[in-house]
Amino acid sequence: MLSRRTLLKASAVMPAALAAPAIGQTRRSISFLTWNIIDQEPLIRGWIASFQRANPGVEVEWLDKKGPELPPFYQTQLAAGTPPDVVNTQGALWLEYAASGALMDMTPRLAAEPEVKNRFNANYLSNWTLQGRNYMLPFYITKTLLFYNKTMFQRAGLSGPPQSFDDILAFAGRMAQGESTGFLTLNFDWLYWPLFAMNGVDLLTPDLRRPAFNTPKAIEVLEKLARASESGAINKISWTGRWVEPNGAFAAGNVGMLHAHSPAYFFVRGQGNWVNGDTLGVAHAPGNFSTPNSHGLGVSRGSRNPDLAWAFVKHVTANEQAGQLATQRRILTGNTQVDQALLASLRSEDPLVHSVLSTQIEHTDKMVGNWPMPQDARVKDAFWPELQSALLGRKSARQALADAERRVGRELSRA
Amino acid sequence: MTPSGSPAHLARRAGTGTGWWGRKRTRQAALILCFLLPSLAIFLLYRVIPLGWNAILSFQSWSPMRPPRWVGFEHYEEMLFYDDIFWTALWNTLIWIGAAPVAIILALGIALLVNSDLKGASVYRTIVFLSYPLMTVAVGIIWRWMYDERGGFINWALRIAGIIDRPLGFLQSFDLAMASVIVTDIWQVIGFYMIILLTGLQQIPQHLYEAARVDGVPRHAVFLYVTLPMLRPSLFLCAVIGLLNSFTSFDLVYVMTNGGPGHATELLITYIYKLGFGQTKFDYAAAVTVVQFLLLLALTFLANRLAGGNAGAVEKD
Repeated sequence: MLSRRTLLKASAVMPAALAAPAIGQTRRSISFLTWNIIDQEPLIRGWIASFQRANPGVEVEWLDKKGPELPPFYQTQLAAGTPPDVVNTQGALWLEYAASGALMDMTPRLAAEPEVKNRFNANYLSNWTLQGRNYMLPFYITKTLLFYNKTMFQRAGLSGPPQSFDDILAFAGRMAQGESTGFLTLNFDWLYWPLFAMNGVDLLTPDLRRPAFNTPKAIEVLEKLARASESGAINKISWTGRWVEPNGAFAAGNVGMLHAHSPAYFFVRGQGNWVNGDTLGVAHAPGNFSTPNSHGLGVSRGSRNPDLAWAFVKHVTANEQAGQLATQRRILTGNTQVDQALLASLRSEDPLVHSVLSTQIEHTDKMVGNWPMPQDARVKDAFWPELQSALLGRKSARQALADAERRVGRELSRA
Repeated sequence: MTPSGSPAHLARRAGTGTGWWGRKRTRQAALILCFLLPSLAIFLLYRVIPLGWNAILSFQSWSPMRPPRWVGFEHYEEMLFYDDIFWTALWNTLIWIGAAPVAIILALGIALLVNSDLKGASVYRTIVFLSYPLMTVAVGIIWRWMYDERGGFINWALRIAGIIDRPLGFLQSFDLAMASVIVTDIWQVIGFYMIILLTGLQQIPQHLYEAARVDGVPRHAVFLYVTLPMLRPSLFLCAVIGLLNSFTSFDLVYVMTNGGPGHATELLITYIYKLGFGQTKFDYAAAVTVVQFLLLLALTFLANRLAGGNAGAVEKD
């Protein structure tokens, strides 16, 4: 029979005994949250294994979430005070996390280890910079380009890709007949912004504090886009679809041009049996403007093992691991050496993929739609529905831009 | 003085046992409490506390990444006076609620048909009900294809029938999108309503109909004065389910239109999700949630009153 004293002693010791393994675990374990790349499981398990070999006794927990699930998951983990140590985000999602202190500032570490910083394409790396501080490293990179259906171009008497915004509309108009339309663009995450940038329209003032888009030129551009959408020159899916619909429509073979980022190529090739080097053209959008939509790797500031997490990020983005990802997924990683090697091998192996991916590292100084503003998501949600209203004929361009200006201004004033 | 419902009072009335624990009623009450405790704890943890915390959050400036700050009615002011998307979403939610009676009326018609001597009634019943167990996300995707402007079945059928000469962008049109999503919602839920109403119809005592027939009551009067009053509990159940469904129809809208085009199909529930997880405005989303909750409470109260004020009460022999 237990005496009261023994019971009390046991009660006092029990929590410590229970907590001991947890403490031990937090010392030598990290978690890695990725964005919908469960198909790369063997590769990632391999990275973890090699990391563990280099760091004996370390545990790495890998979590993968689909795109729509990752932000809520990460936010709830932040709220609970247990964020994953290493996080992979897409597009501009990282901005708010960085601005509110959820991500570790990598600037001092990059300064201390210039060889890590020098791995990357500087223009891509700068996409993860907020107020001069770097919060993420490139995991894999994409930006928009222009795909065109050469058969439809030939049929319409067009010899090459458009060189200006007006060319896009004129070419699209010539190809729009019956079920065929001339132009499609992806619209999420500002991917349509090159259409405005090539007309000299700015979204915000240089200090990013006020809207700058409500100008006569922007009204003119929007009116032209709306008219082209109404006539069928521009496929309306441009303004209503997200990923599957626009890419699927282009893959069907009756849309002249697709303005999308490079991963769209693999979708289109998978769905469209007409796609080959003779039928699919690849070009930069007029003015060489593009919008990046890359994936980065960051370390949560709440990480209990920031050094280990940083080591893991370096490991994953190092030549060997990045090279495996590039080869297996046929994607660029932002690691200059790795990307050059991939492109060199693709030149003879798959010239079409080579030409698609080549665009991704060209004119990287002309990337637009990547404003480093913490309230990017809010501004996007304030701007896009108004633009959509004009593009689909619900509002006049003038009214839509005025309404958008009011909404965007309100979001910016709250910062 | 001891309150009339207190354990001591009950025990005195029972007049059993000696001492506190010895009283039979007290032991019974403790036993009942023990059985209820797990459910109550879960209810408290997952319903009451989040609800309370949500209400507090709506008066704070908060995000997972910064400490809370009290802002009073700021979010409510923003919502009521400056946020036209909130009003659009509220209006759309009310339209969605308004669609529930349409679905119930249609389900009642079908229930009456399959309850009659119609040949193959059980087959029709099964066919109509089949839509309900389908996963809402799958329903959304299927209907999105059916509505497709270029290759969709509905456009194809309308063109074959000569009703339209150009394909309609059902889900891309500001005018058609809401109606299109509502049609899908009705299609999915109608089978469920039909089963509830059919069960209600089959529980109506036949002697009431026989008496009406003997008295020569016209068929429409039998429907109005016998069928409908006897169906009131089933109709109320459908109405409450429809009401709740209106406030939680997230998946269908999310999959079919994501609230667009513009905010043409935005419901309060989709707007709350976007505010919270798209824009990280959990505090503001909490304020919209409070409004949605109050609206739901008011409508449920109204429905209860319309149903006679004792809906949900347990009948005692």
